[in-house]
Amino acid sequence: MTAPASTTTIDLVSRFPEFVTADTRPGFSGFIVKKENLVEVATALRDEFNFDLLSSVTGVDYIADNKMEVVYHLHRTTGGPGIVFKTQVDRVDPMEVPSLIDVWAGADFQEREAWDLLGIKFTGHPDLRRILLWEGYEGHPLRKDYQEAFFEEETKPFKSRWPEGHHTYAEFKNPFRDNIKLPENFKLDNYQPENEDQLYFSLEKSSMKHTSENQMGTDHMVVNMGPHHPSTHGVLRVAVELNGETITSLKPVMGYLHRNHDKIGERNTYLQIMPFTDRLDYFNSMANNFGYAVTVEKLMNIPVAERAEYIRVIMAELSRIQNHLIFIGMLINDLGSMYTPSLYAFEERELILDIFEAVSGARMMCNYFRFGGVVRDIPADAMQKIKDLVHDRLPAKTDEMERFLNENEVLVGRLKGVHVLNAEEAIRNSVTGPVLRAAGVPYDLRRADPYSVYDRFDFDVAVRYNGDMYDNYLIRFDEIRQSLRILEQALKQIPEGPINSQKPQYQVRVPAGEAYGRVESPKGELAFYVVSNGKPNPYRYHVRAPSFVNLTAVETMCKGTKIADFVALLAMLDIVMGEVDR
Amino acid sequence: MDWTMWVEWIVKGFVLCLILLTGFAYLTWYERRALARIQVRVGPNRAGYQGLLQPIADAVKLIFKEELTPGHVYKVVFILAPVLTVVPSLVLAAVVPLGTSFNLFGREITLYVADVNVGILYLTSIASIAVYGIVLAGWSSNNKYAMLGGIRSSAQMISYELTLGLSFVTAIILGNSMNMIDIVNEQRGLWFVVIQPVGALIFWIATLAEVNRAPFDMPEAEQELTAGYHAEYSGMKFALFFMAEYQKMIVISMILATLFFGGYLGPFVDQVPLLGPVYLFAKVIILLFGMIWVRATWPRIRYDRLMSFGWKILLPLSLAIAFITATGILLADVLNNQLFFWSIPVVSIIALLVAVAFIYRDLRRKSHGRI
Repeated sequence: MTAPASTTTIDLVSRFPEFVTADTRPGFSGFIVKKENLVEVATALRDEFNFDLLSSVTGVDYIADNKMEVVYHLHRTTGGPGIVFKTQVDRVDPMEVPSLIDVWAGADFQEREAWDLLGIKFTGHPDLRRILLWEGYEGHPLRKDYQEAFFEEETKPFKSRWPEGHHTYAEFKNPFRDNIKLPENFKLDNYQPENEDQLYFSLEKSSMKHTSENQMGTDHMVVNMGPHHPSTHGVLRVAVELNGETITSLKPVMGYLHRNHDKIGERNTYLQIMPFTDRLDYFNSMANNFGYAVTVEKLMNIPVAERAEYIRVIMAELSRIQNHLIFIGMLINDLGSMYTPSLYAFEERELILDIFEAVSGARMMCNYFRFGGVVRDIPADAMQKIKDLVHDRLPAKTDEMERFLNENEVLVGRLKGVHVLNAEEAIRNSVTGPVLRAAGVPYDLRRADPYSVYDRFDFDVAVRYNGDMYDNYLIRFDEIRQSLRILEQALKQIPEGPINSQKPQYQVRVPAGEAYGRVESPKGELAFYVVSNGKPNPYRYHVRAPSFVNLTAVETMCKGTKIADFVALLAMLDIVMGEVDR
Repeated sequence: MDWTMWVEWIVKGFVLCLILLTGFAYLTWYERRALARIQVRVGPNRAGYQGLLQPIADAVKLIFKEELTPGHVYKVVFILAPVLTVVPSLVLAAVVPLGTSFNLFGREITLYVADVNVGILYLTSIASIAVYGIVLAGWSSNNKYAMLGGIRSSAQMISYELTLGLSFVTAIILGNSMNMIDIVNEQRGLWFVVIQPVGALIFWIATLAEVNRAPFDMPEAEQELTAGYHAEYSGMKFALFFMAEYQKMIVISMILATLFFGGYLGPFVDQVPLLGPVYLFAKVIILLFGMIWVRATWPRIRYDRLMSFGWKILLPLSLAIAFITATGILLADVLNNQLFFWSIPVVSIIALLVAVAFIYRDLRRKSHGRI
């Protein structure tokens, strides 16, 4: 059972008595900092208290108190519990909060997201544009007074869906094609999309072409890679400025898959969110379930059944293995080899998906975890399949893949020494997961801040020290090996017993408060920030998606490199657009 | 000139085109099946026995597909470009001898379309024309990806043409002629690949780059440039580019087989001349498999590395090979000592090892310097 987030032993109040107070609301923790002194406190936290990793930045709209709150979660890359501090502004536009981008570069995208969805203006942010929604969007949807088109009720289940006790679909009421509301006098034929001057202006502003290196005064070309491009892993769009084949400036543009996961989550009941988390990182629905379950259990303060803990670990590690297998296949695919490695990887992945299907009924969207346990026990034959995989097949296949691939000259030539991300830069940009560990920082939540039963297993944190793409590639194999080690022990230790500490229930009672739960998803630190006000639906539900935050580092890593390497970098960061755009 | 001569030429040219067109269709089938085997898949096996009708189904699909011409292209060049790419790949095969000659109704029919005494010059000049099609396609598409693809390909093909030319030179020196038929006859005792294995290897690598095959498929690098120079093409125009690539593969394999692997030579080929095309066909299939194998297993080389590989490794190596071959033959002639002749393969392999050592040093240094 995970202990409730131990706030911290840091006494920030006595360090800054004038402008820091402890957050004393019931169920809440951390500190409230006056916004005028935010940068000062943040710098002190980073330099004096060694909280070097900015985990998450998000906002909460407390409309009843007429306050807008910005929540910062910090952690140490050396491990241990984190610290949370908040700052509040009056709910009157413009809600200005100083930007922390100079303290942690990783605040870049997350502050832009808070601006986009909540309308908090971060003063001092050099490039405060909308990030998930498009320029010209009206309003900030995560504010509590924002109502979408066809708004029915604040929370689900909507009463209109149950006329006379029978279920009906919203689609019947608003048939497809008629389910959009357009402004008065709007003619689609005359519609001119909002221009993207801001994007190109910011691309131009950060361009290297004004530096002295460009003495020839050559023409530069702006290429929009994506949203429809074979190797941007979905609908990521990247505006790139090229000098020949060299990238001089680059801006990721995202949001093409945006469906406002946070807002839908706030409409849903707690249990309804569980299958919805599957759609975040659709390769690892088990890991997403894990993160969400851990967070809500923290809020509810309930134990997890012993056997269920082991089942969770088994599923999470299997999920990690299949994710890394896909990663390896797809990375080499993006380097231009004709699908061969990825098809070999997919062969193993299918076997793991067979297990997911056996336990949860679905291969990708598993919806397997429940608060206090899991939904079903592992069937006996599936257990045998897991044992065969873990003990025989996967180790042999991992060795085989390494033997075939690691020494390939073209692969080594393309990966070695390219896109080096050093440890300081990685931490500054809030990069987590294998990418951070390949840069030499042994920061793995399973060790740094153990959740579930990970403290019972004997395994090493995979770490490599060069931070280039080759190390990023090798570390995936190391992690597969460590996952297999954990699986072997988990399979040996798994006890008999119930699989859920609670009664099966549709509606859970969650006491008021906040919780920040994080797990080591295969892509990095996956965290959920949930605020409850005691009602059946969360008051605030925020996902700290690892792919999204890891993308922050792209710009600094790519400038001056070749466009072919940029494609490989996208594969290396292992982004999934379902998670980036949410 | 006799009118039957004209008929013979026309028939032979027609047959050759037919062979190449069917060859192209079945090469796609062969490649897909071979790739599938390498990739633990089955491949197309539904249309006809073992999927043998698949190429026909593909052709029907491509012909009836809607052909889009985007509004922003330069139309004349846009339409001309696929033609400019296909025609050289068909014409190229004219000088490749498929066999000796046989008697048909009392008339001696030679198994080649043209007996050009500067056959190799003809090959190099025609092969260079193909690059225009790709560059013009990229330029006229008025699309940044296509443009990048076209520019990449022009630079790449020009760089590797030098290497290709120098490998031709080795074969010319060994065969003591520029006529393809003479070169084949010269190999009756010994295939040139035995005397000059490195030359054959360089030739093969350069042809991979010349026909834009993996791992040198820069112009159409899917992962970077979506489809490169043919991004805006669809339907039959796209099929023409596709056709050109595969026909060039076949022709280039035929040339490689002719220059270094004895061409149509094989057991009993003098008694039964019709065995010649069969032998050549078998050799081409084996060489094509090599190309497919490489495509299935190798990642793409980055563009700047490709250029430096071409200019800094392949070109010096092929120069050295040409020099070694010439010197060996000269010394063997002048001093009348066969030992010098047999030192050619040995010295060439040493030169190759030196080049490989350079590559390894480069790889290692890059990783040390940057990290």
